[in-house]
Amino acid sequence: MAAGLSATQTGPGDSTAGAAPVRRGNFPAAGILLLGLVVPLGLLTAWTVAALLGHLPEQILPPPWIVLDTLLDGIQDGSLLSSTMTSLERVAEGFAAGAAVGLVFGTAVGLSKTLREFVDPLFLALSQVPTLGWMPIVILIVGIDEGLKIIVIGWSAFIPVVLNTSQGVRDVPEAYVELGRVLSFSRWSKLTMIVLPSAVPSIFTGLREGLANGWQTLVAVELIASFEGLGYLMAYGRQLFQLELVLSAMIVVGLIGLVIHGLLTLAENRLQRWRPETSR
Amino acid sequence: MSLITIAGRERLSHTAPIGPPPSPFLGRHLRPLAVPIALLAIWELLAHAGVADPRFLPPLEEVVARGVAEFSRGGLAFNLLASLERDLIGFVCGSVAGIALGLAIGFSRLLERLLGPVLLVHRQIALFAWVPLISMWFGGGEAGKVVFIALAAFQPALINTWQGVSGIPRSYRELAEVLTFGWFDFARIIAIPGALPQIFTGLHSALIYAWTATVGAELLLNIAPGIGGRMNEGQHLFHMDLLLLCILLLGGVGVVFNVIAGSLEHRLLRWRIP
Amino acid sequence: MTGPVAISEQGRGQSHALEIADVSKRFSVAGRRVQALSHIRLAVDDGEFVSIVGASGCGKSTLLRLVLGLDTDYDGDIRVDGHRVERPGLDRSIVFQEHRLLPWLNVEANVAAALRQSGLGAAERGELVRDHLHLVGLDQFAKAYPAQLSGGMAQRVAIARALVTKPRFLLLDEPLGALDALTRLRLQDELQRIVRHEGTTAVLVTHDVDEAVYLGDRIVIMHPHPGRIATILPVTDAVSRDRSDPNFIRLRDEVLSWLGVSRTGIDADAELARRSA
Ligand SMILES: Nc1ncnc2c1ncn2[C@@H]1O[C@H](COP(=O)(O)OP(=O)(O)OP(=O)(O)O)[C@@H](O)[C@H]1O
Ligand SMILES: [Mg+2]
Repeated sequence: MAAGLSATQTGPGDSTAGAAPVRRGNFPAAGILLLGLVVPLGLLTAWTVAALLGHLPEQILPPPWIVLDTLLDGIQDGSLLSSTMTSLERVAEGFAAGAAVGLVFGTAVGLSKTLREFVDPLFLALSQVPTLGWMPIVILIVGIDEGLKIIVIGWSAFIPVVLNTSQGVRDVPEAYVELGRVLSFSRWSKLTMIVLPSAVPSIFTGLREGLANGWQTLVAVELIASFEGLGYLMAYGRQLFQLELVLSAMIVVGLIGLVIHGLLTLAENRLQRWRPETSR
Repeated sequence: MSLITIAGRERLSHTAPIGPPPSPFLGRHLRPLAVPIALLAIWELLAHAGVADPRFLPPLEEVVARGVAEFSRGGLAFNLLASLERDLIGFVCGSVAGIALGLAIGFSRLLERLLGPVLLVHRQIALFAWVPLISMWFGGGEAGKVVFIALAAFQPALINTWQGVSGIPRSYRELAEVLTFGWFDFARIIAIPGALPQIFTGLHSALIYAWTATVGAELLLNIAPGIGGRMNEGQHLFHMDLLLLCILLLGGVGVVFNVIAGSLEHRLLRWRIP
Repeated sequence: MTGPVAISEQGRGQSHALEIADVSKRFSVAGRRVQALSHIRLAVDDGEFVSIVGASGCGKSTLLRLVLGLDTDYDGDIRVDGHRVERPGLDRSIVFQEHRLLPWLNVEANVAAALRQSGLGAAERGELVRDHLHLVGLDQFAKAYPAQLSGGMAQRVAIARALVTKPRFLLLDEPLGALDALTRLRLQDELQRIVRHEGTTAVLVTHDVDEAVYLGDRIVIMHPHPGRIATILPVTDAVSRDRSDPNFIRLRDEVLSWLGVSRTGIDADAELARRSA
């Protein structure tokens, strides 16, 4: 099962954080997966050969085995693991806060036209400011402690969650809304039986984008203002011109990204079992 | 964009009430202004009541005065232009490369299978994780910044183009076969027009990503003229008014980009609207 | 049918089960006013089965929506037991023109959704759902999702959902329109059996004149622009429920000619003009 990779795209306009596009039909079998390994293996070989022949200056690209050594060292002495844990914790906290508030706020804004009229323009304007732009101000106000990270990561996750949730809630087909009325649903039933399930694809797009944003922001904030974490490790490696440190941290960042992606896809597929298998 | 669809939906809805809604709280067109004005008023009150530290909460008139001074001397305007120039160069390079590669992958099954997995993994690496590497490869100066911005624009342009082309319904592909289209006709008559909406979505995201990356590059890489540079200055000298002004500019540029992209999209894709 | 005296007395004293009294409904479409319904008068008694036929766009669905209480912005009155309908209620259920099953719920849960406001316990609900799925012959598909059903099966689930609350009024908006001829015939019998069995009062909108005659106690024929009732034909006992009976065919032809379709194809328009004059 290649469930982790063959996410069906659901959200409209999901452009940057969702799954990779997937061809119609089933995900390629083993032979085709092997084809996907050709390029990475080729690059790795070229890198190794170039390093062996001494064509690659270490400041540009250290040999692969050194990167591997650094990676293993980091795992063994626990430094890489503890950095990873710190980073993951920050993302988890920031994302959880931002997404939770975003879900509630997005649902409220989606349900109430009046609320929307009051807050939509302001929210849209605020969301146009790149998250990093807020960082200097937040640093001045709360300092560079954990608070900064939670706030900035939370905010970056909050925006897409709000936008997608409210859109999803607004786009509930009128036919289903009517059905809720015909069945005399209470407000709560309408919300849980009709509005939210129908908004699930949008909400997921929002969560996906929110998590991706949070992860991006984490790296940025750790590069700028931190003394631990993967981003800090990279900044440190850059200062010491230890490219192998930078690269091994990048590998971890990429791996975590992949895992997150896989988990989200799994959760999404679970929540949307009702979708016809041949959708697309 | 969303507002238009909502209006359309409500017009069709069976239950749209006729006449004014019961007891409207504040006029419809005033509502968007209510919250910002209230917030600014509270701000002004707090600033003048001496409750808040003026270093954190400068009175609004100070921010305005700062803005007037900056712009009359041309300082901030110059910085803004420097940022915009960097942004646009990176955006153009990145999105052109992204669209080109996206089309290639979308058309060629072989290329898709060769490069798809690599690109999928590449995409999972947080954008800012490239900063240290880029700064070592290209330096922290102008070149490094533009490369980083281009990388930011590259990803959404690539992914959406790829998605757009490979998402063309099978029935259209079959139609092309029935009409015995060659590769070129297929691209020109079916694939590119079919993928265009998604390509635009990609460009739109690329524009936003490039702007984020511009700010990031200016904050993270060498200090240079630009809004990010001024923000660094504001942070170090504790000039809250300058920081707020910069935020305003960042948001303003974002809004303008969005409006331009939205209206271009609307205009160029008019044939899609039923 | 009881005599006219009984009805008018009932009308004064106790009133009809469902009474549509001089109902008109306008829409404004792109700035223009469209008269969807004009002075509709119809009284339905308990246990009656009323069929409504009429050209597309003559306001049949609109009328059902008003009876449901989905839309209360109209002229005239719609009363159940003399009380004006203000909002939807579980006493009136509908099978929509499209099945409108919630795609994220499986068959069982879709039917059970109708019982959320019923105040019944979980066990009772489960039993009701099972019974009604059995009634429409879908016990095997309780766990299936709507996307995994055929059109006819989905429509049967919708019928089960409409019946599970044991509604007093069952409104049917072309419930069998999307089905193949064979399934339709089977479901017509099924529907008749169920409605008689539960003593439900039914209003059926259909394009199929055979179906209207076969199922209805009365046939309401509507004309468009503006949507209005052209006539109401009783289905007398003389018309046995046998589709090839001469009486059946005669009534069907009469309905058809009211709809502007004549068997011979000539002077249908003249006939129509004469009748609506
Ligand atoms: N929400 C609405 N807004 C504006 N006009 C409407 C609306 N709903 C119905 N109409 C108009 O009212 C008229 C009657 O529509 P209705 O759907 O009731 O027809 P119908 O008899 O059910 O047709 P069909 O047999 O095709 O289902 C049509 O002219 C339609 O254009
Ligand atoms: Mg209808």
